[in-house]
Amino acid sequence: MAGLAKCARSLLSAPGVTRCILPRLSAAGLVNYRHNAKQLHSCTVSSQILSLMIPDIQQSFVRTYSGKPPLTIKMVEERVLLVLRLYDKIDPYKLTVESHFMKDLGLDSLDQIEIVMAMEDEFGFEIPDSDADRLMTPKDIVQYVCDKEDVYD
Amino acid sequence: MSSFRSKVLSLYRNLIRESKKFNSYSYRKYALEKVNYEFRENRNVTDAGKLSQLIKKAEENLQMIKRQVIVGQLYGEGHLVIEHHQGKKG
Repeated sequence: MAGLAKCARSLLSAPGVTRCILPRLSAAGLVNYRHNAKQLHSCTVSSQILSLMIPDIQQSFVRTYSGKPPLTIKMVEERVLLVLRLYDKIDPYKLTVESHFMKDLGLDSLDQIEIVMAMEDEFGFEIPDSDADRLMTPKDIVQYVCDKEDVYD
Repeated sequence: MSSFRSKVLSLYRNLIRESKKFNSYSYRKYALEKVNYEFRENRNVTDAGKLSQLIKKAEENLQMIKRQVIVGQLYGEGHLVIEHHQGKKG
């Protein structure tokens, strides 16, 4: 609303704009508010400008906030593998769902932490240290994410 | 040794997590690179004295990063052109 008032005020304060817009707006105001015709000085005009502008502005401000698109185990698995394939220290040809980060892919504990943090970024929630230590294969990560996001199929 | 290990890993995690919060692109990238480099540089250190010295350094730097992130937010300067292209912090 503060933005609206500012907008209306700046409309009124710009002399050129006032001259060309006010007659039109006050005409519109007269149609709507004939019984108020006597009070048509700048103050009421500005409130009528507001009432004229609100419908449009409300339309442009309406946003639909919704949850994330529903996940399936398959999707979670694909996203996990995609993130891992893009990680430069992993050979994408060696990577399978079952491969162990340290034993099969030759990563160290620092890499494993980086992977877990990349998963946090990918799925948008934080993984506590105690859980992060246990995530050693892509399968573990998929299982963990599914548990956290309530994905069962 | 294992107490050192979990301490170091949690420091590494926290340093990365805090470094990602830098508003400024170049500070963020530098901090992430520096944390990465320092930990890998000293990955084979086994001497207990040296280890606790390094851990102390990491803790001090973690506090420093936390402070500087806040200072950076107070005096933000907007995003760089390359960041606008990426659409999110890269």
